[in-house]
Amino acid sequence: MKRSLFAIAILASTALTSAAFAADTIKIGLSGPFTGGSSSMGVSMRDGVKLAIAEINKAGGVLGKQLQIVERDDEAKNDVGVQIAQELINKEQVVATLGFINTGVGQASQRFYQEAEIPVINNVATGSVLTHQWPDAKANYVFRNAASDTIQSVMIAEEAVKRQGFKKPAILADSTNYGQLGQKDLTDALAKMDVKPVATEKFNIGDTDMTAQVLKAKEAGADVILTYAIGPELAQIANAMAKLGWKVPMIGSWTLSMASFIDTSGPNGDGAMMPQTFIEAPTTPKRKEFIEAYHKAYGGDRMPSPVSAAQGYDSAWLLAAAITQAKSTDGRKIKDALENLQTKVEGVVTVYDKPYSATDHEAISANIPVFGLVKGGRVVPAHPEDVAGDKAVRIKPKS
Amino acid sequence: MNILAQLIVSGVVVGMIYGVIAFGYQLTFATSKTLNFGQGEALMLGALVGLTTINFLIGQQIGAFAAYLLMLPVVLAFGLMQGAVVEFLGVRQAIRTKSEAGWIMATIALGIIFKNLAENIWGRDALRFPSPLPEAALSFAGVRIQPMEICIVLGALALMIAVEIFNRRSIYGKAVVATANDRDAAGLMGINTRLVITFSYALSSMAAAFAGVLVAPVTLTGATMGAVLGLKAFAVAIIGGLSSGVGVVVGGLILGITENLTGYYISTGYKDVPGLVLLLLVLTFKPSGLFGSAAIKKV
Repeated sequence: MKRSLFAIAILASTALTSAAFAADTIKIGLSGPFTGGSSSMGVSMRDGVKLAIAEINKAGGVLGKQLQIVERDDEAKNDVGVQIAQELINKEQVVATLGFINTGVGQASQRFYQEAEIPVINNVATGSVLTHQWPDAKANYVFRNAASDTIQSVMIAEEAVKRQGFKKPAILADSTNYGQLGQKDLTDALAKMDVKPVATEKFNIGDTDMTAQVLKAKEAGADVILTYAIGPELAQIANAMAKLGWKVPMIGSWTLSMASFIDTSGPNGDGAMMPQTFIEAPTTPKRKEFIEAYHKAYGGDRMPSPVSAAQGYDSAWLLAAAITQAKSTDGRKIKDALENLQTKVEGVVTVYDKPYSATDHEAISANIPVFGLVKGGRVVPAHPEDVAGDKAVRIKPKS
Repeated sequence: MNILAQLIVSGVVVGMIYGVIAFGYQLTFATSKTLNFGQGEALMLGALVGLTTINFLIGQQIGAFAAYLLMLPVVLAFGLMQGAVVEFLGVRQAIRTKSEAGWIMATIALGIIFKNLAENIWGRDALRFPSPLPEAALSFAGVRIQPMEICIVLGALALMIAVEIFNRRSIYGKAVVATANDRDAAGLMGINTRLVITFSYALSSMAAAFAGVLVAPVTLTGATMGAVLGLKAFAVAIIGGLSSGVGVVVGGLILGITENLTGYYISTGYKDVPGLVLLLLVLTFKPSGLFGSAAIKKV
């Protein structure tokens, strides 16, 4: 009996001290893969968020308090993501969480935030389902500032068929959820333009030989390859095409901008095209400032994943604006503020002018991403006219 | 016709890789009736050590081809050492206590440890391995093959032939045969069977490490590269038979070629299925493998 009383006393005192500590800062959770195959995206996203938080804190923080990042490596594993979500909510008591690179991790983890009424901003994961996982719920605590797969698949199909006039696309997708859902979205988008893929091929993560898949596309007479997969396997496709002495354009989801694709396919990957919300080019003063600040803080002259860095940076500013407007760290009030944001947030990707509403939790609309092109180890704008002049900043149309 | 030939050629290349790894399984099984389930990790470690070495050599202004040749002895020596470590830590104790399953758990555990170690040293991204030969494919009557792929086939055959000759001609080889036939009797004849087993593990990991640096230039190098290859090679070892050197080569070729043919003529989604069906068929009808001699265990 004595011992249990003692234990309660210790628990109570630690709870008190952590509460006292928490009052000085506003804790924000950060969940992403910082190791493993998607780490280039996770690390860039984290660095982007940190950069924004540092700027916000330097300018006096939010509600007179400093923002504090609690970062956790979810290893791109669904179960680890779930553990982290519970830890961030219950132990760290974060007021909101930024992150998720992998759609699967987001899907598995978001449930806990939804139940705890704590907002989440998905800044990289693209799976269409993420922002409307609970259509019947009274309130939705999940937001996104990345281009969803619905947007991307339509863009890919339109670029290939309408803009470049290809008639016989072949789809190559990996066997994960990401690849297979993307493949379905792509097929649907093509069907709307009365185009049927001449071949639809599949491969596993870790496959080392893509000869069979690429040969099938070649023999079916494909004039373009549309992809939905991640870096290393995409590089294997480019390399298999080079080996078979067959070169048709590769157009695919934004993962074609991953460093692991660009670096491992080398010259074979040149010319690959993908939708990008941000291309590492100083097309506006804000972007120039961001790129310089990033390299000053983290070194190098090329971001591992510019899209993730920019979206990470923007998500932190969006959240800060919402907390300021809510004048509270209560999850419900922050959610309401996000859905009705009064201040314009000038981000790197775009200027967010009322990015969300009660029914629309997607900050990135179909007009925002442009096509990037792999050239000499970097991603450059595929159609420079798309980002020239006043088209450099593309703003979500008012609904 | 060209397509069939192309698929078979690519299948042969992949199959030879499976074959070399399976050859490693067969080496240790012959002497100790145990296997290193971390064989895929031995391959991965070999490839990563090779990558660090070759990058260092290229940094010293040595050409890619010369650097690759200079790197080979380093990798082979590393493989020998790594195999000996696996035997010492994971297998020796199990054999001494005549444990039926101890070595299985121990070699799997060591494999996981090696993988984590590699993740900490080399990171978890897939890395590009510099190719010692030009990457442009050669064309033979419409069939295209990269020079490195020819190297894989020749290198794999050379290694297996060298080890076989060593085993058959040298005095060590006689000790292996004696140990394989009857460990206790061999021990009574003055053969240090423990050393023979250690050495067979060393050779086995050396074969895997060699396979690693052979396959690395045409794929990517990384901590997870060994998992799938090790598993496929295990299937090959079962199909071909764990007691036959020829068996693993033929088993590897069968698996590599069926994978490619299924991928093309049936569906790429079912690429891995026929190999596993074949595995089940062999286990049902000829458990010792297509080329294995039936082992009769007298009790």
